Amino acid sequence: MGRPDLNRRNVLAALGGLTVAGSLGFAALGTGADALASSARTRVRYWNLFQGGDGTNQVAMVDAFRKEHPDIAVKDSTLTWGGPYYTKLAMAAAGNRAPDLAVMHQGRVPGFAPGRLLDPWDIGLLAKYGVREADFNPVLWKRGIVGGKLYALPLDIHVQLCFYRKDVCKKAGLLDADGRLPAAGSTDEWFALLKAAKKQLKNGQQTLGLHANDQNFAWWFFVAFYQQLGGGYFNDDQTDVTFDTDKATEVLEFFRKHVTDGYVTVGEADGEAFLAGSPFTWEGNWSVPYFNGEKLDFGAQPLPPVFGRPATHAESHSFILPHQSGRGGAADEGAYRLAAYMVTHATTWAVGGHVPAYLPTFKDPAYLKLSPQNEYSRPAMEHPATEPHIWFAGSTGVLAQRVGPVVASSNLGSAKPAAAARRMKSVLEQLLAMKNPMDGRTAAQELKGAGA
Amino acid sequence: MSSATSTVAATTLRPRATTAADSARVRWGRRFQHGGWFVAPFFVLYGLFVLLPVVRGLYLSFTDANISGDHTDFVGLDNYREALKDDLVWNSLWHSVQFTLYVVPCIVVVALLMALIAHHTVHFKWLWRLCFFAPFLLPSAVIGNLWWWLFQPTNGMVNHVLGLTTPWLTQKSTALLAVVVATLWWTVGFSFLLFLAALQNIPQHLYEAAELDGANAFRRMLHITVPNLRNITGLVIALQILASLQVFDQAVVMYQFGPGPEESTRTFVQYTLEQGFTSYRVGYASAISFVLFLIIAAVALGRMWLLRSREEGISR
Amino acid sequence: MTTPSPTLRKPRSTWTPAQIALTVVALALSVIWMAPLAWALSTSLKTPAESVASPHWIPKDFTLDSWRKVFEAGNIPNWFVNSLVVSVCVTFIVLLVASLAGYGFARTEFRGKSVLMALTMAGLMFSPAILGVPLFTTVQSLGMVDTYWGMILPQCAPAAMVYILYKFFQSLPRELEEAAFIDGAGRWRIFFTLVLPLSKPSLSAVGIFTFIASWNNFLWPYMVTNNPDLMTMPNGIATVQNAFGIVWPQLMAGGLIAGLPLIVVFVFFQSQIVRGVAHTGLAGQ
Repeated sequence: MGRPDLNRRNVLAALGGLTVAGSLGFAALGTGADALASSARTRVRYWNLFQGGDGTNQVAMVDAFRKEHPDIAVKDSTLTWGGPYYTKLAMAAAGNRAPDLAVMHQGRVPGFAPGRLLDPWDIGLLAKYGVREADFNPVLWKRGIVGGKLYALPLDIHVQLCFYRKDVCKKAGLLDADGRLPAAGSTDEWFALLKAAKKQLKNGQQTLGLHANDQNFAWWFFVAFYQQLGGGYFNDDQTDVTFDTDKATEVLEFFRKHVTDGYVTVGEADGEAFLAGSPFTWEGNWSVPYFNGEKLDFGAQPLPPVFGRPATHAESHSFILPHQSGRGGAADEGAYRLAAYMVTHATTWAVGGHVPAYLPTFKDPAYLKLSPQNEYSRPAMEHPATEPHIWFAGSTGVLAQRVGPVVASSNLGSAKPAAAARRMKSVLEQLLAMKNPMDGRTAAQELKGAGA
Repeated sequence: MSSATSTVAATTLRPRATTAADSARVRWGRRFQHGGWFVAPFFVLYGLFVLLPVVRGLYLSFTDANISGDHTDFVGLDNYREALKDDLVWNSLWHSVQFTLYVVPCIVVVALLMALIAHHTVHFKWLWRLCFFAPFLLPSAVIGNLWWWLFQPTNGMVNHVLGLTTPWLTQKSTALLAVVVATLWWTVGFSFLLFLAALQNIPQHLYEAAELDGANAFRRMLHITVPNLRNITGLVIALQILASLQVFDQAVVMYQFGPGPEESTRTFVQYTLEQGFTSYRVGYASAISFVLFLIIAAVALGRMWLLRSREEGISR
Repeated sequence: MTTPSPTLRKPRSTWTPAQIALTVVALALSVIWMAPLAWALSTSLKTPAESVASPHWIPKDFTLDSWRKVFEAGNIPNWFVNSLVVSVCVTFIVLLVASLAGYGFARTEFRGKSVLMALTMAGLMFSPAILGVPLFTTVQSLGMVDTYWGMILPQCAPAAMVYILYKFFQSLPRELEEAAFIDGAGRWRIFFTLVLPLSKPSLSAVGIFTFIASWNNFLWPYMVTNNPDLMTMPNGIATVQNAFGIVWPQLMAGGLIAGLPLIVVFVFFQSQIVRGVAHTGLAGQ
């Protein structure tokens, strides 16, 4: 990260705080260390939740921005991914101590009280820094709009993929003439693939990494296959649950069969097992650089369309402006410049496996040459399966936290698939009847309010 | 020891004061009529950060307040009604109770054992004290990270030493147990010190007398040590129950703020904070907080009642 | 440091068979109790790759890299200072406020004393774990989220410490203060020049215990600080991640840095701390 000057200044400032505390009656303690360490340059505080390969790429992008904009001091902070990140972000915004810029999963925006915990983007100011609606996938851009205002500026779309090792699949005779895995069009075809691949393995090696006991992955995979079956969640008015327990049971039984038939070892470190010779693993596209780094011959495609119509789970990382009562000024402008830069210079991000939201990057020949990105980016963009667009949904949101463990328990056999499906439906009913704590309205009331 | 020194000081000073003592006592009492100033600074802080939040929490528990503080409506008993029907309330409460049931006996037994050993060994007492107590000095977040690492299935210390491949942290059957082990290791030192201090307070002459009477080590333990440790054992159990019911830190850090495999390690405090800060339902979170408060208060009052009835029994 | 044992007075050797057996058991337990820390230290001296290779105790490629990285690149020095500021302030305020209140309850009369005393006793049952959410909204409405004040002040009203000092002041003989009063000293002067110096052992017990509790406090700073620059050591370690993923050697080095100061202090002030913990704990009886 290489910014020892900043840290040292903070230490000195805090030490100063200590001295002040001792002699001048704690006068300085009303502020934070960062305020004491104010510097002449514009300081932009930027929060994100990127770890691992994503973290490395993100740091590289921020560093590139720093090089081009020496007048802006970016203070980036990476917080623990998922629930804890959103907790901190909400509390900071509620306590009026929010950072200038932050990353958020697009699905979380409706629940994050746009207008209260989030400030809208100024389209004009964005355009000034080169970000225009025309350069984005329209569906993705529109999902960031609430009540006519843009709250989420999309950086990418990221999907769950079926990674396959070409060496093992070739030995099993599974690859087509182009050296790619043909997509399995039915569950029988899929299990036939697994069976053939399993014959090539040593005893005890797992055939597929399913993250069976991970509540996040379990839910994401469910969303994908449930959409393949054409299942829905709520009616258009969001007054009734239309969740189809039969379809859900079918999906859950499909997952469970992987475990009962011995293709999946519960608790296995799936990524490492894949590197060690396991032929298939279902992972997020962020695993691409990890596997690329290991010089592995592999392919990646959307989750197999075993129920007929293709769909794979997709979310989007986007930039948001957490609510600040006095938003504006140099720091705010710095936040716009940083976000605009990151969105329009997303090549590094695309190398990291994410599908860029910025169309000039998406259509860039250099991007189209990347492998295995070229195998999955177009179908992923065309057939995304997203969580319902409702206040309690979105990555690691309330919905995921409540139903994820149910799917996982079915995967592990602690609950029968049919019972788990019923349980999911009752959770959905509870949540639909629940009022969004931010505005005291149910989803249906919110929808009506927005329409009126 | 401190009261001894002050007694000495008092007796040396007293002759000079005897003559005026009686009248001084009267004036002394009058001068201190408005001693409330001594208590005032504490009560400002106490009022702001303990009493006010209690009252505020009680008020919030009857509203649908959210974290941003606006749009608050009075909802009567709705939150409490919902809490009674909320599976996760009971589920997470059960985890905290389960944790308490496991960890308290373990701590009491191990701490007592350690104290007996450290008390009765002649050499290296300081070393045992250091080794047994040191983990208690580590922050809970460090404990969480440390045991997260130690319990890793393929490269963790626990499996390495025991020659196992158990995925401790990813299966339901061992997840809470892992938190118990980490907690035992971490906090046993505190109870150990309490036992050790109590052992050192037992008058030596009792043992010497018993030895002269021909009582062997086991009988001396049974008839002198055990009865003398009764009070401190009660204290340790009470303190540990109160602390264990409020378990949060090490469990969330070990499971990266998640609910653990199949939601098997979500503790009650964790659930209240999730409701308040992850689901932004401050009103509901306040309501369920009071459920835990009632339990804690019941335990604390129960102990007071037990102590009082025992004291009365002794005085009679 | 060891208390003089009565067996020393007897002229026979202290290494009886029973002693040898006890010492062996004590040694075994100590080894078990130190093993996790030894493993953490060993991990922190390995390279990241070696740490996840097959487990072993002695690092093959001994390196101080992780320690250096933690000091240079991370937030840890910053958090360390934050922890120090918060813990020192909390300890200072608690000592002042709790000794005043304890003395007030023990020695002075004023209207409403019994009510305030009862309220204080009730406070023994509240903790940030139970009160967290309403406490946060209170601090939020005071505008103290993400400030040092917000971290420090709510830790400064410990009913337990008041109770301990109250008990102690009650045990002091009144005659001493009366004598000083006859000599013309005011009550504040009596308190600061006579009572406090007599209370050093109790005050140091309360101070040490408060410092440990504050240094290790996770829950409250976790709730009230979101700005990574302002976090204390335990909070930062748990919630701020390395952008490059979990690097076990660095995680362990960071943990040891957070834990070492108190352990070092313990080694030097063992008997005081032991007495302090025993004292504060036993006072609850």
